[in-house]
Amino acid sequence: MESKTSRREFLSAGLMLPVMGAGSKMGLWNATDGPVAKGANTPAKLEYRTLGRTGLKVTTLGFGCMITSDPSVIERAADIGINYFDTARGYQNGNNERMVGAALGVKRKQLVLSTKTHSKDKVSVLKDLDTSLRELNTDYIDIWYLHGKGSPEEVHDDLIEAQQLAKKQGKIRFAGVSTHSGQQQLLPWMAQKGVFDVALVAYNFSMDAGMDKAIEVAAKAGMGVVGMKVMAGGFRGPKPGVPALDKLKQPGALLAALKWVINKPGVATTIPSMTDMDQLDENLQAMAHPFSASDEKLLAAHLETIRPLYCRMCGECNGACQKGLPVADVLRYLTYADGYGQFALGRENFLGLTAEQAAVRCGDCAECTVQCPHGVQVQGRVARAQELFA
Amino acid sequence: MKIAGLLLTILLATGLSHAKDYLDCKFVPGWEQSEAKHLYVADNLWEYKDGAAEGYLQFGFVRMQGISCKSGGDTLTIDVSEMTDADSAYGIFVANSDPNLPVVKIGMGGQVQQQSANFAKGKYYVELVVVAANPNSNQTATLEAFASRIEALLEGRTTAPEALEWFPKQDLTSTRLVPESVLGLRLLKRGYQAKYRQGQAFIVQEASPESAADVLKKLREKFEGVPAAQVADEAFQAKAQYLGGICIFRKGRYLGGYANLPDSKQAVTLAAKLADRIP
Repeated sequence: MESKTSRREFLSAGLMLPVMGAGSKMGLWNATDGPVAKGANTPAKLEYRTLGRTGLKVTTLGFGCMITSDPSVIERAADIGINYFDTARGYQNGNNERMVGAALGVKRKQLVLSTKTHSKDKVSVLKDLDTSLRELNTDYIDIWYLHGKGSPEEVHDDLIEAQQLAKKQGKIRFAGVSTHSGQQQLLPWMAQKGVFDVALVAYNFSMDAGMDKAIEVAAKAGMGVVGMKVMAGGFRGPKPGVPALDKLKQPGALLAALKWVINKPGVATTIPSMTDMDQLDENLQAMAHPFSASDEKLLAAHLETIRPLYCRMCGECNGACQKGLPVADVLRYLTYADGYGQFALGRENFLGLTAEQAAVRCGDCAECTVQCPHGVQVQGRVARAQELFA
Repeated sequence: MKIAGLLLTILLATGLSHAKDYLDCKFVPGWEQSEAKHLYVADNLWEYKDGAAEGYLQFGFVRMQGISCKSGGDTLTIDVSEMTDADSAYGIFVANSDPNLPVVKIGMGGQVQQQSANFAKGKYYVELVVVAANPNSNQTATLEAFASRIEALLEGRTTAPEALEWFPKQDLTSTRLVPESVLGLRLLKRGYQAKYRQGQAFIVQEASPESAADVLKKLREKFEGVPAAQVADEAFQAKAQYLGGICIFRKGRYLGGYANLPDSKQAVTLAAKLADRIP
C-alpha cells in the first residue's frame, strides 16, 4: 500500500489539523448576520493513501454515511477535505443514498463515492445499480460493492459478470466486495480471483493476527482495503452504570481504536459512522496524531477489561464442558444482562436450557474443563449467569 | 454460525414474545411456510442485515422475528421488529419509507408497493418483501392481505406521534424522527424534524425544563456570543455556515427551532409560530 506522505514526513511537517474541536467553536459558524467565528475557514491538512490498483488517492479517514442524522455533517466533511464517502442501497431502503447524493451535491466529482448492493442475482444487482445512480444523483459510482459476503460461494459468477458489465458501461469505475464474516477465507480468495479492485472489511484492534495476514495478502495482490467496524462495535453497546464496562468509555478509547486501523499500512482508508459535527471533529484527530504508545496501552487495557468478560463466539469451547453446558450460549445470555441491560432477555434464554443444563452449578466443579483461548474466565462468568438467572 | 443457530432455536423454543401469533403463512390462502422462523437480537442482527443493522439499533431495536413463506415460485419474507417504544417504531418506519409514495392507514402508518410493504403499530415495525418469479408482477393484494392480518394481531398505538402535529403545515414536505444528533448537533439528542420547501424545523423533548435550559445554554456557547431572540421562554438566533439562518428556543422542557433559512430573522419569525403550537 503506497502512502503519498509517509507518517514520519507527515508528522515532521507538522500537519496537525487546526480543526480539532472545530465543531465546538471554529469553522462551523461563518456568520453573515451574526458574529464571525474565530478560526473559521482555517484549512485542514489531511493524510492520503492510494487505494490499491484503483490508483485513487483517499483520505485515511473516510466517512460512513449510514447513520448520519443530518446532511450538514457530510457537507462539512467534504468541505474539510475528507474525500471517501460510503453508503449502500439497503440503508434506510435507499433513503440514505438520497440524502448522501443531496449532501455531496456539486462536490461529487471531486470525491470517491461507494455504494453497495445486497441483491443476489445479475438482473437484480444491475437494477439496484441503476436505482443507486438515480438516488445518488450521479452518472457513475466509484466503487460498487457486492454487499455483505461471508464466503467465496456467496460471490456468484453472475454477480461478478454484473460488475464487469457495469464497468464496461461506465456506470462504475471499480468493483468491490464488502464482508463482515469469513474474511480470512474470503480475502485470499478475492486476491487470487483478480477481478476485485477493493475489499471493504470489518477490522479492529480486537481481532486476531489471522486478519492482519488476510489483509496483507489482499493488499499485496493490489486490492485496495477499506476498514469498517473500526471502533470494535463493543464500545457502543455497554450501558452506563454497569461497573465492569464503564472503563470502555474512557476518554480517548474510540480515537485510539480508529488510529489503530489507520496505522495499519495495508488499510487505505476507514469509514467510521459519523452522526454529528462533534464526532467528525473527534475522528479528524486520527489523521493528525500517530498511533502512540499510550494508545496501545489504552487499547491493551481495554482488551484486558474485555477479555475475561466477552465471549467472541469463536466456538472453540463447543463440547468442552464435562457437564454438557452450551458455554458460549450461556455467556451470551449473561452479556444480554450485563452488557446490554436486558436482564429479562438473558433470563428468558437461560430458562430455555434443558433441565439438566439448568441444574448445573459451576461451583461444584473442582476444575473447569473449558479453557477459553481468548482468556474469558469461563467458570466465573457461567457461575454468575447461574446465580443471576436460575 | 452453529452457535447462533442454536441460540435462535432456543429463543424460539422458549416461545419468546408472540411469534406464533402474528407470523403465519396461512394468513393468506395459497401460501406455505418455507423455512424455520428466524429471530435476531441486537447482538446478532448484523448476521441478517449486515451494515444496515446499525440503522435499526440507532432507533432502539430490541428484537426481530420473521418467517419465510412460499407460493409457487414466489417467496415472501415477513420481519417484525420490536422497538423500545412506539415513537421509535414510527421513526424507523419513516426512515425506511419512500418519501415519494403516499402513507396509508395501517397501524400508525404504512406503505404498500408492488413487491414490498412496511408499517408500524405500537412498538412494532413490520416489513414484508416478496421475491416473485415474475419480477414485474404486482403483489399488492397479497401484501395488503398479510399486512392487514398482522396489524390486527399486534397491540399498540395507531396514531402518529403527537409532536408531529405541532409543526406548522404550510409548505411542509416531510417529517421524521431523528434518533440522535438533530441538525448534526450532539447536544440535540433525539427529536422530530420537519422539512419545508425552505428550511427545516425541529422539536426535542428534554427530561425537564432545567435540562432543556442547560442544553440551550451549551448550544448558545457553541455558537459563540450570538444574540438572544424573543421566542418562548428563551432563545437565540445565529447564522451558521452549514445550518444557515437559525433560531433555537426553549419552551418548558421542549427545545425547538428552525434552521437552513436565508437569515436568522426569518428563523426567529417561524420559530415563534412553532413555539405557539407547542402546548
